[in-house]
Amino acid sequence: MSGGVDSSVAAGLLLEAGHEVVGATLKLWGGASDSGCCSVADVDDARRVAQTLGVDHHVFNYTEEFERHVVDPFIRAHAAGQSPNPCIECNRHIKFDLLFERAERLGFDAVATGHHAKVLSRDGSHYLVRGADDQKDQSYVLGYLREDQLATLLLPIGDMNKSDVRVHAERLGLRTWDKPDSQDVCFIEASKGREVFLRQRIELTTAKIVDRATGEVIGETDAAELMTVGQRRGVLPGRNGEKRYVAKVDISGGRIEVGRLDDVLITAIHLDETSLSFAHEPIKDGSVVLAQWSAHGVSKPATLRFTTRWWLELHAPARPVAAGQSVVFYRVDEPTIVEGAAIVSPS
Amino acid sequence: MTPQYYFDHAASAPRRDEVVAAMEPWLRGVVGNPSGSHRAAREARRAVEEARDEVAEFVGAKPGGVIFTAGGTESCHLAIAGVTHHHRRTHDASAIVISRTEHNAVLDAAEMMARDFENVTVRFVDVDAEGVLDLESLRQALDVDVAIVSVMAANNETGICQPLDGVSALAHAVPNGVLTHTDAVAGAPWLYLPMATSTIDMISICAHKIGGPVNSGALILRSDIALDAMVPGGGQERGRRGGTVDVAACVGLAAAARITAKELAETNDRVIDFHHRLCAALSFLPGCEITAPSASKVPGTVHVTFEGIVSDELLFLLDQEGVCASAASSCSSGAGQSSHVLAAMGMALERSRGSLRLSMGPETTLEEVDALIGILSSVVYRLATEA
Repeated sequence: MSGGVDSSVAAGLLLEAGHEVVGATLKLWGGASDSGCCSVADVDDARRVAQTLGVDHHVFNYTEEFERHVVDPFIRAHAAGQSPNPCIECNRHIKFDLLFERAERLGFDAVATGHHAKVLSRDGSHYLVRGADDQKDQSYVLGYLREDQLATLLLPIGDMNKSDVRVHAERLGLRTWDKPDSQDVCFIEASKGREVFLRQRIELTTAKIVDRATGEVIGETDAAELMTVGQRRGVLPGRNGEKRYVAKVDISGGRIEVGRLDDVLITAIHLDETSLSFAHEPIKDGSVVLAQWSAHGVSKPATLRFTTRWWLELHAPARPVAAGQSVVFYRVDEPTIVEGAAIVSPS
Repeated sequence: MTPQYYFDHAASAPRRDEVVAAMEPWLRGVVGNPSGSHRAAREARRAVEEARDEVAEFVGAKPGGVIFTAGGTESCHLAIAGVTHHHRRTHDASAIVISRTEHNAVLDAAEMMARDFENVTVRFVDVDAEGVLDLESLRQALDVDVAIVSVMAANNETGICQPLDGVSALAHAVPNGVLTHTDAVAGAPWLYLPMATSTIDMISICAHKIGGPVNSGALILRSDIALDAMVPGGGQERGRRGGTVDVAACVGLAAAARITAKELAETNDRVIDFHHRLCAALSFLPGCEITAPSASKVPGTVHVTFEGIVSDELLFLLDQEGVCASAASSCSSGAGQSSHVLAAMGMALERSRGSLRLSMGPETTLEEVDALIGILSSVVYRLATEA
């Protein structure tokens, strides 16, 4: 229970369905956050919701693990010019790994969360499926879940639109019913942003911004680590007003390559083999999948290939993708079902 | 509902019936403002002053030195910040000397003063591996710039007692002397304060660790000590703590102090047996280590660690079986957090993550202790096997 409306309602619906429910809030970040030190305001909300529902509530401290598996890698990846998704890392290493293990040790039959996604049970197997609310679907951030985890996972609000969730929250009398959705990375204060967070922890690099086609230096940045491959914001347009995109971030070389869309389009995405994960059987070389590489992106057809390493052959050129991002594979025949995921490696 | 076994007296002790009965008349109907002059006010004032006499007796001080507060944290804060404020206005430099294992009431007050005033610094005194203050380290920290030295009587997490006489001897050896304060909140249920704190200038206590109400405590000064009020408005408590005096809270503290003093020897005798019984049983459990086995500790607190087990899981399963216990160190969100006390003793983080504090009081029975041993054994074996 994060203290948000989704997990609040998830707990309430489980209770109404007759489950014996215990609320758990994970204390993940020990530093300053938008909800106070140690996110104390969110923990208070979660605790009050549990009280309202009449269920026990516990706060579990995972700050050290969060630092180790999420925050440190986030900082290291930025220092290397990559753009990781910390929510995915948190799901992989904390929520669906350490918490699952703990739940089993403590004698629980299942773990439930308030994610907007569904678990489909068919012929003895379990499949992760996109949530009913297109705008809120979170199957992307759960893309690494495997059969054994899906088998003990309950996602009570996956069939609902966000507005229905709020209706339920109000009906259940939960104080979180009108709480705004959280958008940001939980350990970065919205008022200060990623730049302040990183500046307090690493030295940011000055880099030249170079037009890839002409070799012309068009500007400079004092924070190359904040540039994300694929981004357009903050990049000067070309002389004729054409938009330019970041194509490559080279921290050690102090160089950011940008270009017009045509100059930067890619047709291949390289994958980090150690991160490759499949819900069931591994997908074979040459299989066609629908690939999605951002939380609210659209999935696009691609062929998973193995030559000397795993990569995705895109069926249509696309804007470049930052290393560190995750690609989630959905099935071609049933486009809402997740098949696997992998982290984009530098090309 | 499973039966409840309460082993968290150090967090908050059960409220005594005698305390509730003593407070009751001051919680309903007309209760005069003790600062007033009419008969209802005089009646209230008399109750407050009777309470002051009893609290003074509890620590062996004079009634004029008792400042009623809203608890232990405020008492400690008033001692540290009040004395330092007064000192820094009349001196070029003011140092606050504290042990590394103080409660946050003291730590945060000291750090706040150092943060807000350029001429204020904090000097930390080390403890040894058994959590006992290193008097040589204290001696080195003391000089004529020191405004106050604060060392707790007994530690709230581990129950380890500190050599207060040594602290005051060193403080008095500094030219013109240095004021001493002790946070006796965790010590009060167990120590005979007139003796244990006899050489200390200022003593902080609170009611709810000795069977009284929360939000009630006192800072007791053994002599006329110059300190600034933190809340001056109104001039109550001889200008040292403003705000209308809470008659019921004072009466509750006094009643709790009276019963505690009366039963002190007998409670110590009984609970020390429980302490030994618990330690003996726990020492057989896998991965269990008794914290500071040779240090002098209050009988009510047994602090142990379990290797390879995380407190969060241990406490969850104990709670399921009706055992109320604690890891003794938590942050404002309610989550367990690594203990600065254990870190100061040089305990590895891995070990301190498996902390468990079992704390007892006058109400604890042999049956409860034996039930606890049974439950704890099964829970620890279960987690050790799962891991």
